[in-house]
Amino acid sequence: MKSTGLIGIDTGGTFTDVVYQLVDGSIRVFKVPSTPSDPSQAVLSGLESSGIEEPELVHGSTVATNALLERAGARCALVTTAGFEDLLLIGRQTRGDIYDLDVEKPDPLVPSSACFGLNERIGPQGEVIVALESSECTEIATRIAREGYDSVAICLLHSYANPSHELAMAAALRSAGVSYVSASCEVLPEFREFERCSTTTVNAYVGPVMDRYLENLERAVGSGVRIMQSNGGALSLKVARERAVETVLSGPAGGVVGAHALASAAGFDDIVTFDMGGTSTDVSLCSGVPSRTGESSLEGIPIRVTMLDIHTVGAGGGSVAWADPAGGLRVGPRSAGANPGPACYGQGGRSATVTDANLYLGRLSPDHFLGGTRDLDCGAARTAIEAIAQEVGGGPSEVAAGIVTIANSRMEGAIRVISVERGHDPRDFTLVCFGGAGGLHAAELAASLHMPRVLVPPDPGTLSAYGMLLADIVRDYSRTHIAFMHELNTADTDSLFEELEGQARVEVDSRALRLERTADLRYHGQGFELSVPWHEDSVDTFHRMHSDRYGYADRSRDVEVVTLRVRATVPAGVEVPLPGVIAEDVVAATPASITSTRFGDEDLPTPVYERTTLQPGARLAGPAVVAEYSSTTVIPPDWDGRVDEFCNLVLERNDA
Amino acid sequence: MLEQVQLEVFRNLFHSIAEEMGVALCRTAFSPNIKERRDYSCAIFDADGHTVAQGDHMPVHLGSMPMSVAAAIEAIDMAAGDVVIVNDPFQGGTHLPDITLVQPVFVEGHHRAAFYVANRAHHSDVGGISPGSMPLATSIYQEGIRIPPMHLVRSGVVVEEAMKLILANVRTPVEREGDLTAQIASNRTGERRLLELVDRYSLPTVAEAMGQLQDYAERLTREAIRGMANGRFVFEDAMDDDGFGNGPLPIRVAIEVEDENVTVDFAGTAPQTAGSINAVSAITVSAVFYCFRVIVDWPIPTNHGTLRPLSVKIPAGSLLDARPPAAVAAGNVETSQRIVDTVLGAMAQALPGVIPAASSGTMNNLTIGGVDPRDGRQYAYYETTAGGMGARPGASGLDATHTHMTNSLNTPVEALEHSYPFRVRRYGVRRGSGGLGRHRGGDGIRRDIEILGDARVTVLADRRESSPYGLAGGQHGAPGRTVLVDDGHDRDLPGKCSLDVKRGAVVSLRTPGGGGFGAAGEDSS
Repeated sequence: MKSTGLIGIDTGGTFTDVVYQLVDGSIRVFKVPSTPSDPSQAVLSGLESSGIEEPELVHGSTVATNALLERAGARCALVTTAGFEDLLLIGRQTRGDIYDLDVEKPDPLVPSSACFGLNERIGPQGEVIVALESSECTEIATRIAREGYDSVAICLLHSYANPSHELAMAAALRSAGVSYVSASCEVLPEFREFERCSTTTVNAYVGPVMDRYLENLERAVGSGVRIMQSNGGALSLKVARERAVETVLSGPAGGVVGAHALASAAGFDDIVTFDMGGTSTDVSLCSGVPSRTGESSLEGIPIRVTMLDIHTVGAGGGSVAWADPAGGLRVGPRSAGANPGPACYGQGGRSATVTDANLYLGRLSPDHFLGGTRDLDCGAARTAIEAIAQEVGGGPSEVAAGIVTIANSRMEGAIRVISVERGHDPRDFTLVCFGGAGGLHAAELAASLHMPRVLVPPDPGTLSAYGMLLADIVRDYSRTHIAFMHELNTADTDSLFEELEGQARVEVDSRALRLERTADLRYHGQGFELSVPWHEDSVDTFHRMHSDRYGYADRSRDVEVVTLRVRATVPAGVEVPLPGVIAEDVVAATPASITSTRFGDEDLPTPVYERTTLQPGARLAGPAVVAEYSSTTVIPPDWDGRVDEFCNLVLERNDA
Repeated sequence: MLEQVQLEVFRNLFHSIAEEMGVALCRTAFSPNIKERRDYSCAIFDADGHTVAQGDHMPVHLGSMPMSVAAAIEAIDMAAGDVVIVNDPFQGGTHLPDITLVQPVFVEGHHRAAFYVANRAHHSDVGGISPGSMPLATSIYQEGIRIPPMHLVRSGVVVEEAMKLILANVRTPVEREGDLTAQIASNRTGERRLLELVDRYSLPTVAEAMGQLQDYAERLTREAIRGMANGRFVFEDAMDDDGFGNGPLPIRVAIEVEDENVTVDFAGTAPQTAGSINAVSAITVSAVFYCFRVIVDWPIPTNHGTLRPLSVKIPAGSLLDARPPAAVAAGNVETSQRIVDTVLGAMAQALPGVIPAASSGTMNNLTIGGVDPRDGRQYAYYETTAGGMGARPGASGLDATHTHMTNSLNTPVEALEHSYPFRVRRYGVRRGSGGLGRHRGGDGIRRDIEILGDARVTVLADRRESSPYGLAGGQHGAPGRTVLVDDGHDRDLPGKCSLDVKRGAVVSLRTPGGGGFGAAGEDSS
């Protein structure tokens, strides 16, 4: 059958996932090996294998992320207001760990020798205090060009209120021949100079690398390419080349978008996504729509672009269990990674990991791991578990169960941060689980948070690429404008909103463009804001949100607006897969084998099912284990499972 | 559940409750000190008022929060829904701007409080002779309103008389009321979460875990102490002066290590003095607590157990255990840092290769108050500024970073200029201020603020005469300076002073660098 032309390709560490859609709406997926030295090779081979002729590609790229993580970005200079050249070096004056004498700060992306001060000054209302001399701009620009920097970030004080000096400096740099220039008034026109400067510098640092990569890709595929960004939407290739910073935190975004779409189709709009990998676990919350935040960072470097509100903890299948000198059992943050990996991988790992504990307890079926293509060394897992049990002084079963309990408690903490701490009750949410290790923990985790239900999508390994297919084109625009709401000059805010919307119309040229206004509000005098939809009752909404989130509202206090935001969206227009048909009389599922699995203090006989054999409508009673190629799902004794018409595995507590 | 497992599960649970209380407080507070600078702490306590877990907030509050809880328990018969307020440094407080709210947590069917929750926050004004309440004073009566433990909330209802009395005594009552509301909400969050734990695990299990976690922290601390050499180690450092011509004022310590027990004796320290650098014993205990907390290599719960191996002796009426009516505003922010310098200096002899050279050793407190010419409103600005970190045995000290007893964020220049009639002229690293050595001490900061209206400026800073010490042959860091540029003239201000300045004056803070470690030129391998 012919494809629609739409194809999602997600670059991962080992595999590059390819997902595309046929004209009947059904979805095809496959994997090709990743090519880390030049990721576009795998992208092109994936495209070729799909046989799609005029592809419309949505691509999740790790090029910008890796450039930052590996410090392999451009040779970048920074222009600041004179007297403020050390902004990046000083940061906010804090250290990352108050009790660690060996604490370090990340080195600034731009060394002091590449920071240039410009004699100019703008005040908080945008007023010019010291005018810019164009001769000085030219002089600095010439010097930077002569010294051969690949890119330049510009961050002048109060440029969100008056961008003219930054724009003049940018123009001077461009005419001096600097090809990649990022001005903070364009990247993030919001107040708080360090965070704005940091974000702008990240853009200038990873930008040229991303630009080269996308230029090559465009040459091979054409300009019909969209790039996944951190906010869960896609970006046109042209904008992505200028705003690489928008893609730095995009790694987990596809999975969240995919999970949200699948769960909505299955009837669950309010979900918590749970993506447990080898080293860490990502969780996020969607209450109708995915939650977003503007307060992120990577490796201690603030990046204040809008991104999906994804909380990460250092606990995964590979997290290593260890004993401290006072006899306490600890799990992580050290991970055995992929190499040597858990002891049971038989690659020389000696330390007990969460995966080894699951295997020891019979929750992970050795016959079905990666479709039976990888042998698990149960003996090595046993040896590792017995060793740690002896160190902490407990029985091996108890200690193995303890390792799982501790890992669960870390992940439970992560879910509490994004739900309870943000004013949401987990009891109203479905836990949507993907990633290799999640299914082993999901039901117990849901139980401890009183979540009623777990949903495991089909083929959870390719959910991220699938999400890219569904991602709308999204651009976020913002501008700091501080004013009291009760004396607001709406002509001012309207014209600022219109300016942002005008920018959106230029960048996102589509008839289907949807524009949405929001604003960040706070009680006058507070230091943090809440984002609310912009309408006549914005203040009311703010009081309500404040009360939900923090337990009180004070209607006698003045409310002020801090930042205006416009979100521009063009819907992807892709439908989620059509539901399958549930047969009239479903054949009872047949287990592939029966194993013995430890639940609480008991070993229970537990049927193991192969997921591929389960048809829509199938029903399973806990205890049971469902194994599939890339993951394993445990159904505890007081839970039931069923397969819905979308082939999701849905687990629900049977005591409800 | 195995005890070894229960420990780790509950360590995470209790710590996350304290952290969540902190998020609730910081995001809804009004004082810049709380919302921008995070000068607050939240903690939970067992039925005896012993700390079970504290968020990763301000180290200086570590050992002193339980004293507020103890004072509240001692003075007030607390019932469900009550909240007790206290800031009196001589009854469980530290200095007046730090206001602590203590709330008992009752479990249904029990008459005695099962737990306590508390939070402490630095309010930007609590009255007294100068805006910002960090004055150059000679008695506590000049420093602001002194609140002994008393009800702020009774059975869930704010006690209006108490609130009105407090608000009548401060310069910015609307902001104060907002901060106190945020503090009440933060404690409620802690209460709610603890009761959820009781629902889930039962009261005996939760209470037992609290005890186990303290024993556990104690074991880990004793293990770290065993890594120190046995013996008696002495060290002396000093405060420059008290702002009233008295100084230098020595701080002496003798640390006796015997296997896994330590006695820390401050005999020989200067007596309490006229100016406000006096510390109450709560601060001294906090500083000692911090010094032993940082030598524990493992992630441990921050609780009462860490204190148990330590015996702290402080001469009554000394600079480190001041008695009323001593002025104490700067004891918390200045003297606390020197106590750490002194104790670490002694510990370095017992733990070579672990302890760093001295960090800047002052928080460079700057208060500016006056009338904002833009709108005619009164304002009070207060901020501390970081210096250089002392070099470590294996690495340079960090530049421009808050160290030891503080970790507050700086107020962004753009936020500062929005809120106050200031123009920041310069904000950079003070190059060359860190001490040389095999590893270089971190450099301090230079920050120049032009004041756009007539104002009162108060500086409380130290390490203006003495220098942060180097270790193992490393050189001293440069002392700090405060320079006033007025009518085109530069003049150095004393470390501690209060003066009126005219519109257009520029205050230039230049903070000390950290000491170096090891002789320069030695092979760093």
